[in-house]
Amino acid sequence: MLSVISFNVDHGYLEGLVRGMKAGILTRADYHNLAQCDTLEDMKLHLQCTDYGKTLSSSEDDLTVSLVDSKLRENLVAEFSCLRSNALPPLSTFLDYITYSYMIDNVVMLITGALKQRDVAELLPRCHPLGAFDQMAAVGIARTPTELYSAVLVDTPLAQFFQDAVSESNLDEMEAEILRNKLFKAYLESFHSFCKNIGGATKDIMCPILEFEADRRAFIITVNSFGTDLSNAERSALYPACGRLHPEGLCLLGAAQDAAQVKDVADRYPAYKIIFEEPEPGSGFKTLEDRFFEQEVKLNTLAFLQQFHFGVFYSYIKLKEQESRNIVWIAECVTQRQKSKIHNYITIFQGTEQ
Amino acid sequence: MGSLLRGEEMCLAQLFLQSGSAYDCIVELGELGLVEFRDLNPNVNAFQRKHVNEIKKCEEMERILGYLLREVKKADISLPEGDVNPVAPLPKHVMAIMEQLQRLEVELGEVTRNKEKLQRNLLELTEYTHMLRISRSFVQKTSEREPLQVQYEEFPFLEKDTLMDYSSMQRLGAKLGFISGLIKRTKIEAFERMLWRVCKGYTILSYAEVEEYLEDPDTGEPTRSVVFLISYWGDQIGQKVKKICDCYHCHLYPYPSTNEERNDVVEGLRTRIQDLHTVLHRTEDYLKQVLMKASESVYTWVVQVKKMKAIYYILNLCSFDVTNKCLIAEVWCPVNDIPTLRRALEEGSRKSGATVPSFVNRIPTNDTPPTQIRTNKFTSGFQNIVDAYGVGNYREVNPAPFTIITFPFLFAVMFGDLGHGVIMALFALWMVLYENNRKLKNTRNEIWNTFFEGRYIILMMGLFSIYTGLIYNDCFSKSLNIFGSGWNVTAMFRAQVWKNADISGNRFLTLDPNVTGVFNGPYPLGIDPIWNLATNRLTFLNSYKMKMSVILGVIHMSFGVILSTYNHSHFRKKHNLYLVFLPELLFLLCLFGYLVFMIFYKWLVFTAKDSREAPSILIHFINMFLMQGDGVQPLYPGQIGLQVFLVVVAVLSVPVLLLGKPVYLYWLHNGGHRPGLYRGYERVRRNSEEELYLMRDHDMEEGSSHSDLSSSGDRQTDEFDFADEFLHQAIHTIEYCLGCVSNTASYLRLWALSLAHAQLSEVLWTMVMRVGLRMDTSLGILFLVPVFGLFAVLTVSILLVMEGLSAFLHALRLHWVEFQNKFYSGTGVKFCPFSFSLLPSSFEQYGLL
Repeated sequence: MLSVISFNVDHGYLEGLVRGMKAGILTRADYHNLAQCDTLEDMKLHLQCTDYGKTLSSSEDDLTVSLVDSKLRENLVAEFSCLRSNALPPLSTFLDYITYSYMIDNVVMLITGALKQRDVAELLPRCHPLGAFDQMAAVGIARTPTELYSAVLVDTPLAQFFQDAVSESNLDEMEAEILRNKLFKAYLESFHSFCKNIGGATKDIMCPILEFEADRRAFIITVNSFGTDLSNAERSALYPACGRLHPEGLCLLGAAQDAAQVKDVADRYPAYKIIFEEPEPGSGFKTLEDRFFEQEVKLNTLAFLQQFHFGVFYSYIKLKEQESRNIVWIAECVTQRQKSKIHNYITIFQGTEQ
Repeated sequence: MGSLLRGEEMCLAQLFLQSGSAYDCIVELGELGLVEFRDLNPNVNAFQRKHVNEIKKCEEMERILGYLLREVKKADISLPEGDVNPVAPLPKHVMAIMEQLQRLEVELGEVTRNKEKLQRNLLELTEYTHMLRISRSFVQKTSEREPLQVQYEEFPFLEKDTLMDYSSMQRLGAKLGFISGLIKRTKIEAFERMLWRVCKGYTILSYAEVEEYLEDPDTGEPTRSVVFLISYWGDQIGQKVKKICDCYHCHLYPYPSTNEERNDVVEGLRTRIQDLHTVLHRTEDYLKQVLMKASESVYTWVVQVKKMKAIYYILNLCSFDVTNKCLIAEVWCPVNDIPTLRRALEEGSRKSGATVPSFVNRIPTNDTPPTQIRTNKFTSGFQNIVDAYGVGNYREVNPAPFTIITFPFLFAVMFGDLGHGVIMALFALWMVLYENNRKLKNTRNEIWNTFFEGRYIILMMGLFSIYTGLIYNDCFSKSLNIFGSGWNVTAMFRAQVWKNADISGNRFLTLDPNVTGVFNGPYPLGIDPIWNLATNRLTFLNSYKMKMSVILGVIHMSFGVILSTYNHSHFRKKHNLYLVFLPELLFLLCLFGYLVFMIFYKWLVFTAKDSREAPSILIHFINMFLMQGDGVQPLYPGQIGLQVFLVVVAVLSVPVLLLGKPVYLYWLHNGGHRPGLYRGYERVRRNSEEELYLMRDHDMEEGSSHSDLSSSGDRQTDEFDFADEFLHQAIHTIEYCLGCVSNTASYLRLWALSLAHAQLSEVLWTMVMRVGLRMDTSLGILFLVPVFGLFAVLTVSILLVMEGLSAFLHALRLHWVEFQNKFYSGTGVKFCPFSFSLLPSSFEQYGLL
């Protein structure tokens, strides 16, 4: 149990640090200015006035969107590794948990890459550096999930999520996707129980976020499975069982056959009803994914309202990721001259001005 | 002095800069540092401004310069940070600099890339030689061990051929393969484990550590590596092994199949390594030459680029007139500097060869100008003390000139010790004498800089401490007997009060000043040294210092109140003089001024003879408030009457203070005549009527775009809200009246700290120095050396530094709170002129390193 009294002894510095970094998250006014830019150079100029400072200006090459993306990612990784290297248990474990989701994504990406006969050297730079691990490059060797587990991943922290995923079937793209979802299910459930064990404010903050994450996966899996040869039973096995949909909602989702039925399920839960509601014709159209992101941002900003808990670290990373997505989106729009769509970013903090 | 008391008179001026000569004019202004520019395009984004491309170019150059500096630093070439002050380059010369820089960058980049490539090559070759050398021993080892493993690995054909060499291995066909290479020491264990897991034991791994540290080309850190040799069976496993090697970033090198080949390769490698070494040396020499050449002019470039960037920032603040022929800038400028400003503009126009001159126009404004107080190296420290509390309002009385004396004095009252003062003054004097020393000036130690900036303050504090030390007669807690004590002990014997037996019989004897000859009048300067021997010294000094603190406090505060009259009369608020200043002063003087009077009265009237009848001032003061004096003897005739009168005056001044100003303003607002209230504005108007007229014409020509800006202040009408005014005055009244009591008490810190300082230095003397002096054998001389060392260290660290800081802090508080709240509002804005000299002046501060 983490008590409020002793929290600052071990984690006070890092919490202060992360709250300070949170103050650097771009506000509405910043986005407003960014959206007015005509070239990437302009964006660079504006980002110089923010906490990004010289992140973008240190390179000699011309700016491209992918360069912006990788620079922002580097920035995030630098911040995260600063936090991680200063963390003490149980915060260090918590931070490790954050990296596991990136690891899973990396593993699956490498598997699919290997299936398409891509070179590992070409794939590695595309892996998220937060989820990097030593054995990453060897993932391509494995042919079945069992082999993957026993040869490559057994030493990595991902091994604990493999209990359900071990199977002898050959890895193909479908199988890789299933593997990803199985791993994520195990990961989310494990992370959820870990946060629950920590208790206190961490539990209060993190559990809703993780429950939302689990439900989001369940919805997305269901929606994406329509039109594939994934059976309902197989599908149900992929749903993370720590969300709010568990157990009734998941049963209903498992039985759903088309998008309308999914919407029916969502309607039973007020929190998800808003997300699935058809947007009004006048307002800008947003994809389901965007609306989920919006909800996630809302949940994550709540984390900063309480003190003495680990949720701020998770939320900060997720918000910063969303910010990178926003900047990259604006950069894309700027380079492709799609000014009409430029406002489809998700504002994180409203900021003090305006 | 006038400027230091009030600050400079400022005016808003418009600069009309011909677009051709604008750059040169700004250069001149930047060198002089006369004016503060106002932003005329506050609504324009940073990247939509006029000169954003030039700024980008400057940033590009800065980036290259940063790269250059890093390379120069890496090569360990010293950077000359000369005193040269190159002028900002002309726009036409910028391209030359830019080209030079770009050429340098390309050249450097090529050379460093080459160098890196060569180094990488060299590393590979060295690794290869290590591998060959070390793996030779593997073969010998494996051949000895072979029989054992062979059975284990179930390779039956190897059994027959126990003494293996490579020719025999080759005979076994292509199925047996070798992979060899280097891997980082830290990864070998995981590597081995994974190899075993993936290949299920169909491999043999042998490895040995390289004794040398090899430099990692990516991080440049020396790391330990391990040479390994994997022998595997079968092609499929071979592929897996290769993949695993890739994944662990192993450096793989071909494994020679025969001994002869191995020797050939080793030979070849040796010559190539030698060749590479020479090439590498040449490259490094060349690189050094290039960097040396660059390092000579890099400082000039850095300064030039900084200046240029600053100029374009300023140009971005200006607005264009309609015809695009001239730039309009609005600046705050001290009125006295306007001629200099004109000359600077003329100079700028002349330099650029413009036909139409640039010119200055004063424009009227109601905006509050920024506060500019000219300081020199002596006054700037004191001004900083004041500014740290708050920058004064425009033309408000500046406490800094008074602080120059009062601050060191109040400090010294708390720090009064002759010896400590001398040390402090000498230290400050040393800093003052060597203030032009570059090493002292340019140090980056922040603590040192703080002391150095305040060297004149410290000097004054030291000198004043010497003075108060003389008054307290304290020198390292001992007293100096310069003039001879005014007390005489033998007189006690002469008068037959004491006998010889008394001395042996008593530990303490009291001198009686009433006996003739014992007390021969006061010591000429300060406290009589005989008190240093007296046991009741503390009681005596406490009474003296406490009274002194109250006296100093009341004087200091009254002075603050009196200073407020300068503000009232300057801002043409004469009513404040009668309705605020007078009741405030009466309140303070009638209560605490009277207390001071009583202290002096008691000191002067009562002598040693009638000291038994000396009254307690405290009782009298309390009685004054209770309005009863029946029980005690009055100090002087008519005391009760006077006291009642004073209390009544003090009490009556409170409602005047509370109600006077709001009521008067209310009356004024509702139709009362305003005696000269707006004379200030009118004067400004008349001064610039002509200009105003001109400006209106101008405005009409160019539309109303910037007339909005300059006339926005005019529309403000003075709205009057009685409740608001009353509330403010009520708060002020309460604060002042309570403040008088608490602030007077607050001055007692002078007594407390001076007591603490004296006691601490006495403790240090008795606990350390006296112990050393008590040793009376000749060994004591040796013993005295470390004891004195300890005494000196403790004196400096505790008494000078620590006590000094604490006394400084309390003196600061007395000025900020007790003194300045009587007259100083400190809500102004500091005038920060555009000046090149304010740009950071070392590479680290440029943010390039």
